[in-house]
Amino acid sequence: MKLGDVAIVAGKELRETLRDRRTLVVMILFPLVVYPLVSLLMAQVMASHTARGEARLSRVAVVGPPALAEPVRARLRAEAKTFAPDALGASARVDAEADRAAVESGAVDAVAEIAAGKDGATRVDLIYDEARDESRQAHDRVGEKLGFALAPGCGKLFALEEKNVAPRARVGGYVLSKLLPLVVVVMIMLGAFYPAIDITAGERERGTLETILSAPVGRFELMTGKVLAVATLSTVTGLLNMTSMSLTMIEGIRLVGASSPVAIPWTRAASTLIVVVPAAFLFGAVMVAIGAMARSFKEAQTLLTPVYFLCFTPSLIAGLGDWELRGAAAVVPGVNVTLLARDLILGKATFGASLLVVASTLAFGALALSLAARLYDSERLLAADEGALPLLAWVRRLVGLGERGPAAASVDANPGQSLALFGIGFLLVLLAGVVLRRHLTLNILATQWVCMFGLVALYARSLGRPLADVLRLRRVPGRALAGATLVGLSSWLVLGMLAQWFLKPPKELEESMRHLIMPNEGGRGVGLTLLLVGLTPAICEESLFRGAILRGFSARLPRVTSAVLTGVLFGLFHLDLWRLLPTAILGVGLSLIALETGSIVPSMVAHFLNNACLIVLAYLGHDDVGGANPGLATQLGLFLGGLAVLVTGIFLLRGTGTEPTNS
Amino acid sequence: MTSALGVTASHLTKRFGAALAVDDLSFEVARGEIYGLLGPNGAGKTTTLRVLAAILTPTSGHAELAGVDVARDPQAARRKLGFLTGSTGLYARLTGRELLRYFGRLHGMPPATITERTALLAGVLDLEPLLDRRCEALSTGQRQRLSVARAVLHDPAVLVLDEPTVGLDVLASRFLRDFVRGERDRGKAVVFSTHYLAEAELLCDRIGLLHRGRLLAEGSPADLRARAGGASSLEEAFLRFVEGLAPGAPSEAPP
Repeated sequence: MKLGDVAIVAGKELRETLRDRRTLVVMILFPLVVYPLVSLLMAQVMASHTARGEARLSRVAVVGPPALAEPVRARLRAEAKTFAPDALGASARVDAEADRAAVESGAVDAVAEIAAGKDGATRVDLIYDEARDESRQAHDRVGEKLGFALAPGCGKLFALEEKNVAPRARVGGYVLSKLLPLVVVVMIMLGAFYPAIDITAGERERGTLETILSAPVGRFELMTGKVLAVATLSTVTGLLNMTSMSLTMIEGIRLVGASSPVAIPWTRAASTLIVVVPAAFLFGAVMVAIGAMARSFKEAQTLLTPVYFLCFTPSLIAGLGDWELRGAAAVVPGVNVTLLARDLILGKATFGASLLVVASTLAFGALALSLAARLYDSERLLAADEGALPLLAWVRRLVGLGERGPAAASVDANPGQSLALFGIGFLLVLLAGVVLRRHLTLNILATQWVCMFGLVALYARSLGRPLADVLRLRRVPGRALAGATLVGLSSWLVLGMLAQWFLKPPKELEESMRHLIMPNEGGRGVGLTLLLVGLTPAICEESLFRGAILRGFSARLPRVTSAVLTGVLFGLFHLDLWRLLPTAILGVGLSLIALETGSIVPSMVAHFLNNACLIVLAYLGHDDVGGANPGLATQLGLFLGGLAVLVTGIFLLRGTGTEPTNS
Repeated sequence: MTSALGVTASHLTKRFGAALAVDDLSFEVARGEIYGLLGPNGAGKTTTLRVLAAILTPTSGHAELAGVDVARDPQAARRKLGFLTGSTGLYARLTGRELLRYFGRLHGMPPATITERTALLAGVLDLEPLLDRRCEALSTGQRQRLSVARAVLHDPAVLVLDEPTVGLDVLASRFLRDFVRGERDRGKAVVFSTHYLAEAELLCDRIGLLHRGRLLAEGSPADLRARAGGASSLEEAFLRFVEGLAPGAPSEAPP
């Protein structure tokens, strides 16, 4: 074998592959940024789910002759963090019908019917509902507490007898509801994947694009037809999977010898069709839109693989967590269809929630369709291939290697650089977080000043521009500063109230935020906290997001699109599922301020005041907006008051700057 | 009133970023005329034809097909147009008959008319034994004949053919040229792009010489040869125009 030839071929292949920036994105950005991000978000859901389950008190009623029942009550009462004492009751009468009804209605999680048993053991008939999580948990807890209790002679103290009140079909429904919604949604996406590529990028690759574009058919009609075809195929895939999964799962349960037989609730399973069709339309439209951007089958695969991953993440999070189908969850694509499918199988879906899910999914689908029609742009698809983005040249500059080759001269801010900056910054913050997780103050300083501000400084150097220019650090009129001040003073209240109403964070998050602001019970002091958690992020996060990242997006994209993209990345950067939406909205607002005023100063001011208000409130002990549970009138009053200040701030900010430029 | 002109291109310019693909191009094609767009690869022929087909929007200038403004009403313009692309542009997994039915329906043709026109074209283009075979199973020549049938199925007033003889053998090329002449004789305006100079000389009534997006010269083959100082062939005439040696050639070649 001629090793020289091997090296020549390998060198050429590597050179060619590394010049494909999409390959680089999938190869580097996804393993290093997206996958950790998604995994951490899912871990948060799981941890919260587990914590909530453990914190829940089981409502178990104990009935039977006092002489036998009271020792059982005493044992359960001793576990005050596990069993609700008020549910234990004191009834001496065993009424099988009433006990069963109490469990079925959910009035209690389980009923322990106590009677005298054989061999000196007290007989405990545990009535529970196998198709209800709380009841199953109560069953397990009672089993743990009583099942292993031994009498002095080492005989069993209690003889437990389980009596499940759930009918076979409901148990079947419960089992199906755990996995089927997720599998169906994922399969719908998979069903859309290749057809979407085939009818978009495949069309171009086979040379039929030009032919169809010269036919008298509108772009929107063309894309609607394509999306309908993809949606039909993915619907069929979803239905086939649903049927196959149902049968396999039930047969699997039978084969492993489950204690109680189960049946498939076919009517309920079939009712998930309500979800399958709109979900197929949405995912079909999204995938066709992405496919429409690609210029070849390979490029479409490269683009769609991460999109597929990102699309099924919300479903995965919804499937793993114990979310209720209400508030924001009912309109988040992917999450809402998964939850509705689950509720339909369990027979607890409401008409209103179903309507909201279907309508919002179809609306998102229509948006994706109109995007697909816009992206199926013959100008771009048929034009001579653009030159590759000079990513390598940009990286060379970034690390200070200087220019090389003609492409280097054309490097300037663009969306690709924004994404790369986000990826690098995210990775650095993640690493710093792991290394310095025990040192909170050092962690904040390192992530903010080194990983974010330092990165932006390096970026400015790579562009050969002054840092102040890259950041758009410009003087602004007093009116702009006044507007930013009002926005900063009110945004936390408006966003906080919205989060309380529609996306209430769990207690653990509130605790971790409180710890961030007031470690050691406020021992850091309010002044230092304002510097560390208020001013530092206002400078460093603004430099990265409203400075460098927004600069890249706004160089090529419309103002609102740039602000939304920057805001979404800002939300993701905070690595917290419950804070994602509020921080993303705040990020969009700060981006719009920076774009409107043409300077980063007002967004820094607003960011600082937003943080400062939360810090001061925490030190005053008033940080739990929803915790005090004020009446609706007070809540509305606070919200509307905050909104009025916010709107005034926005009004003052309008027209206070010049159009942003790259120069 | 029906326009006597099949195609009007007026000061068409098309840029792709910094690249200038078509530069202030104007020409007209009458009904019953074959107009050849002649030029080397990268001269701007395909871009010009795509602008005529309302697939690309010109950076400036405007175009009309059979009296319909392409930019103002692209759908109506496309109904007047039969466009044969550089590739055969056939759906590999459809049969010839299915393909013709698909495009016929997109053109709003009634089913009976589609059947009638399919039968007629199958006879003229020798497609009868091929119509029920999948396009992927056809040879290059057969595919091109089917593409031609697809382009003329709705009997358009204007035919735009982008290098239709590329990859065809001598017999198939001649068959295609005869068909195009027949369409011309039926009163259609034909724009025929090619970089085969001999083919253009054989087929076209008038020729526009295109180089780097600009029209160097325009006229009948004989006229162009004469204007190039009595060049012995169209190829020689073209080279003289490109090198600026011909009396009517632009004095300064574009960058």
